[in-house]
Amino acid sequence: MTAQTPQDQAQARSLWSAGWARFRKNRLAMTGAVIVVALYLAAILAPLIAPHDPIEHGEVPRMRYLSPGSAHPLGTDKFGRDVLSRIIYGSRISLTISFLAVAISVVLGSLVGAAAGYFGGIVDSVIMRFVDALMAIPRLFLLLTCIALFSRSVWLIILLLGATGWMATARLVRGQVLSLREQDFVKAAEALGAGGRRIVLRHLLPNTLTVVIVAATLRIGGIILTEAALSFLGLGVQPPTPSWGQMIFEGREVLLGAWWVSTFPGLAIVVTVIGYNLLGDGLRDAFDPKQFA
Amino acid sequence: MLAFVCKRLLQSLLLVVIVLTVTFFLLHLAPGDPMARYFHPEIAPETIELIRERLGLDRPVVEQYFKWMGSFIRGDFGMSLQYNRPVRSLLAEAIPNTLRLTVAALILHIVLGILLGVISAVKRYSPFDRVNTVTALFVYSIPSFWLALMMIMIFSLKLGLLPSSHMQSIGAGELGGWALALDRLRHLVLPAFVLGVASAAGMARYMRGSMLDVLREDYIQTARAKGLPEGKVVLKHALKNAAIPIVTLIGLSLPFLLGGAVVTEKIFSWPGMGRLTVDAIYARDYPVVLATNFVVAVIVILGNLLADIGYALLDPRITVTGRKGGR
Repeated sequence: MTAQTPQDQAQARSLWSAGWARFRKNRLAMTGAVIVVALYLAAILAPLIAPHDPIEHGEVPRMRYLSPGSAHPLGTDKFGRDVLSRIIYGSRISLTISFLAVAISVVLGSLVGAAAGYFGGIVDSVIMRFVDALMAIPRLFLLLTCIALFSRSVWLIILLLGATGWMATARLVRGQVLSLREQDFVKAAEALGAGGRRIVLRHLLPNTLTVVIVAATLRIGGIILTEAALSFLGLGVQPPTPSWGQMIFEGREVLLGAWWVSTFPGLAIVVTVIGYNLLGDGLRDAFDPKQFA
Repeated sequence: MLAFVCKRLLQSLLLVVIVLTVTFFLLHLAPGDPMARYFHPEIAPETIELIRERLGLDRPVVEQYFKWMGSFIRGDFGMSLQYNRPVRSLLAEAIPNTLRLTVAALILHIVLGILLGVISAVKRYSPFDRVNTVTALFVYSIPSFWLALMMIMIFSLKLGLLPSSHMQSIGAGELGGWALALDRLRHLVLPAFVLGVASAAGMARYMRGSMLDVLREDYIQTARAKGLPEGKVVLKHALKNAAIPIVTLIGLSLPFLLGGAVVTEKIFSWPGMGRLTVDAIYARDYPVVLATNFVVAVIVILGNLLADIGYALLDPRITVTGRKGGR
């Protein structure tokens, strides 16, 4: 660890604290942050706050399709299970899958994009044409094809969501790297004899970090929607593990009689996605340097 | 211009080839023997070897690849395992249905998006603009399948206003003329709305920004200074320029709409490519899955090609090399 000069520290503090100050003043962004934090807390503390067991079947004829009331605030489903408890446990699936999938696609996309942007020329052309081709296939089609070909499991779904979502990040990072590459500090590093790998990993990628984090936050919402759609089609996480998309699917046959079975998990998805979108917008407004140019 | 079109055409062809290659190797990476469905105690191993030979599965991968690519480009997608019919004839039935749904959604997407975006930009920071922005955020965050169920619950089951599935009523074929058209239109309303509304929200957001940029330009000030009525300034001068990037946006929204069609078609029992794909996946009907994938990719690539050419025709700042000139 090299010692930082006082100026460095002042610089670093002002950059982040200025962004943080901007973020805190943005009411919508703070709302998003609160929603997201609350969701993670709910997911972690699920066994403590869920009023009932999410998987164990209730006493079926008596407890099935109970309308929302004091014992079951959001009602019960076909098997007499508490909808609220299932929604709380379902957040675990949504949050875990979306977080890991975004992490995979961000790492993959950053590396590919940085390689394309830094090496340029034929490497760039080949990589970007490949990216174009993958982006031409609608994501859901690509995912469904892979799921049809391979056997289903949570890890496969995470891997597939990550592996089919890195292209946008690759384009973004490539664009950033193309402009960073021409800047003096990279030329200086090259003059000092740094190799390609060191320049990409040590000098270029860290400078694209804010933009990438903002884009990743904004993408989590989309991934949650995609995962829910897969579960709804019965191709996502398999029962009895509760997931929001699958809960909505289970309620589709009793829309009139037991509207709560489909309605509340859907609202949970909407709130979660809104939360991430507000948070992402807020982070972008606060930390993206282009915003205050 | 011709050079630009040719170049983009070549690039598009290259994309199709890459898509085909990716699909082929996905298929080969997948675990399991394609012959597995013939394994049966009553079928002799020699017979299976014979079938393998006849299907060309004993040839080297590279040879299989070129043969497969050749037949795909000619439109020969093999037989569907589940219907025992040529995939081609299944697609011929499904594609027009998907196009009908997608085009209806696209119209909604464009009209609603431009309308809301322009009003929002002109009446910036007004209550309308705020409501619009909040609604857009909300709509953008709704899972389409859930929206579909909620619409069915309200408009089909509770109010009984609109049908909830299929493209026309049973026996509607005998209605003929306007009655048939009306019946089909009624069946189109809910799925097209569900499919188009999310992208309309995105379009409105984009249009608002684009419109605000244009309204700041000097020539708008000039038009106003000359005493043109505000409505004419907005519609004739601003909208025309703000709408140019929309052409590209339409191209970009195609994958989104076609992907959304998968879920929408499944819920509304719409006999298009999306439903065909999902049903094929449940039945592990690989030839159908790969063929729909390919067709959808070709439609998307074609859409982007047309959008790019349209953009170049509309915006004189684009030079033939495809690079944006100085402003």
